[in-house]
Amino acid sequence: MRFPSRLLAANLFFAALVWVAFYVVVTLITVGIAVYGTLTKSVWEGATQLPRWFALFVGVALIRDFLPLYIAHGQTRRQFGAQAAVTVALYAPFLSALLVLGYLLEALLYHLAGWPQELSSAHLFGSPTQVPLVFAEYLVEFLAWIVAGAFMAAAFYRWRGGGLLSLPIGVGLIFLGEAAVGAEFRLPFVRLGLDAGSAPGVPVTLAAGLGCFLLGLAMTWSIIRDVPLRNRPS
Amino acid sequence: MFDDRSPIYRQIADRIKADVLSGVLKGDEQVMSTNQYAAFYRINPATAAKAFQQLVDEGVLYKKRGIGMFVSPAAPEVLRAQRRESFFTDVVDPMVAEARAIGIPLGDIVRRITETGGHG
Amino acid sequence: MKIEVNGLRVDYHDVRAIDGMTFSLDAGKIYGLLGRNGSGKTTLLSVLAGFRRESGGTVRVGGRPVFENPEVTREVCLIGDAGETIDIDKVEDAIYFAEWLRPHWDAAYAEELLDRFGLERKMSVKALSKGKRSALGVVVGLAGRSPLTMFDESYLGMDAPSRYVFYDALLADFMEHPRTVILSTHLIEEVGSLLEEVMIIDRGGLVLHEESQTMLSRGTSVTGPADRVEAFTGGLTVLNTRRLGSTASATVYGDLDDARRRQAREAGLELGPIAMQDLFAYLTEPAGDAAPAGPPADVPAEGTPSATPSGDAR
Repeated sequence: MRFPSRLLAANLFFAALVWVAFYVVVTLITVGIAVYGTLTKSVWEGATQLPRWFALFVGVALIRDFLPLYIAHGQTRRQFGAQAAVTVALYAPFLSALLVLGYLLEALLYHLAGWPQELSSAHLFGSPTQVPLVFAEYLVEFLAWIVAGAFMAAAFYRWRGGGLLSLPIGVGLIFLGEAAVGAEFRLPFVRLGLDAGSAPGVPVTLAAGLGCFLLGLAMTWSIIRDVPLRNRPS
Repeated sequence: MFDDRSPIYRQIADRIKADVLSGVLKGDEQVMSTNQYAAFYRINPATAAKAFQQLVDEGVLYKKRGIGMFVSPAAPEVLRAQRRESFFTDVVDPMVAEARAIGIPLGDIVRRITETGGHG
Repeated sequence: MKIEVNGLRVDYHDVRAIDGMTFSLDAGKIYGLLGRNGSGKTTLLSVLAGFRRESGGTVRVGGRPVFENPEVTREVCLIGDAGETIDIDKVEDAIYFAEWLRPHWDAAYAEELLDRFGLERKMSVKALSKGKRSALGVVVGLAGRSPLTMFDESYLGMDAPSRYVFYDALLADFMEHPRTVILSTHLIEEVGSLLEEVMIIDRGGLVLHEESQTMLSRGTSVTGPADRVEAFTGGLTVLNTRRLGSTASATVYGDLDDARRRQAREAGLELGPIAMQDLFAYLTEPAGDAAPAGPPADVPAEGTPSATPSGDAR
């Protein structure tokens, strides 16, 4: 198989740009809080709620934009599926690394300013500087959100309104990923404290994350393997 | 460029014949290639090739392998002979029919022809 | 690439879009695919490009089945007006992916075409006018140099000068890099002379497949006194008859030999050629919808899908 260099490059480039803008905004907010109030917690921790939605839409864009692009350029669905899988497998760690970098830069800033960088939610990691644990948690989370996005987008692409039926399954995939990191299940309006008492441990987390990723890929593939390219009205 | 109403290759062939008759294209002179014709007239090259083939069949053009198409030295004479043959059916008969339909006596036509002939 | 379609059937749920189509196209020619809206043009081309799977029958391109066959699909390009290949941020991004995914891509030629159509690399595709979008599709289609290249109304949004740029580029590039080209279009007057062969489809079936110049030479209008027109055209395939007072004009389709032509002239009938556009209109006229005073539109033998073998000869 051919390495998806350009598909990956285009997406990584865009993610890096978004990260820079995002980091600048979060830092401005951090400084703002420090100036006008008292800063006791990690602002980046709260900010990391957003990138998972970005990851979801990357999954959606893979199906909505790149699947038709590939087919229209004479690639098979199988070729696209393989390239997209490799892309996600490399893209999720990249996003995760960007969040790790965010925590580290924040740690540096807080250290210099003398602010306490406390965490407010349950995590796989106990401190923002536990790089491997931070990386593992967000990696699993992003894998789950990307494949969930791809799966639901595939269902909508194929069945239009009928794609609504895929939402519970997509949410289930995300749920699985969140459960794997033993964190709280956080969606807007929903805050489910999962029983993290048994402390899953890193190997279990990674295994569950991998399982979630493969399951999502398999379900997406079952939808796109013979999907007709839509005749879109111009 | 074309009226879209009769096969284009016939129109191209007619145009080349007209050029040969008028002397614009001379004996043993090379004519433009099919592709040049196709691009110029914005037509399918196969259609242009058909026109050329028709002219080769009629002996107006001849092919030099790998070089191109040339006007047969005898072409002007052959075409003139053809035109002479069809002159009365193609030109004179319709004119006479038209004259009858609109009421011009044949004598007037003959007089006109003699006059212009005398001048020309 | 040679195309062989046998008994093709395509269903959308309970709607049959293509119903038993059989034809074959030789490699290295420019074909025109003509049909009214909803006649199945886009569906047919989508199947040839592997965009969708056939419901029945066989489709072979270059001797091999198409759907999910990378050996075939990478050699095939279909540019529709949905913009799958270009709806990706900026013009240069569309080119970036086309260059990477198209095995025969000619980057220098693409640059030249972008210039010719006045497309800037930094323009956002979403902000392009309909005409410029179409032009970008055309650039992707031409510079891809696919052995089977199909344009499905891709130049509909372009203004006349841009369309002529397209026609000239297509012809020039076709002569330099011969390949199989299929153009589906409504602009028959403009495109007609570019076509070597014409396929007319209607209601999911093949109506006619003919060399375009032969098709033109077969269409004849017969005009004169109504009774004499009727007598002369008896036994011929009459596509359409129009009447003005005691004069009638019939459109017949078929070869008229010299004897027949002389016979017409002797009967005081005027014979004239028919434009491709008119032939197309008559051949695909809805049954019973023919010109008022004419005889019931005696839909020609070629007009029914069952008679399509006549079109397979070539």
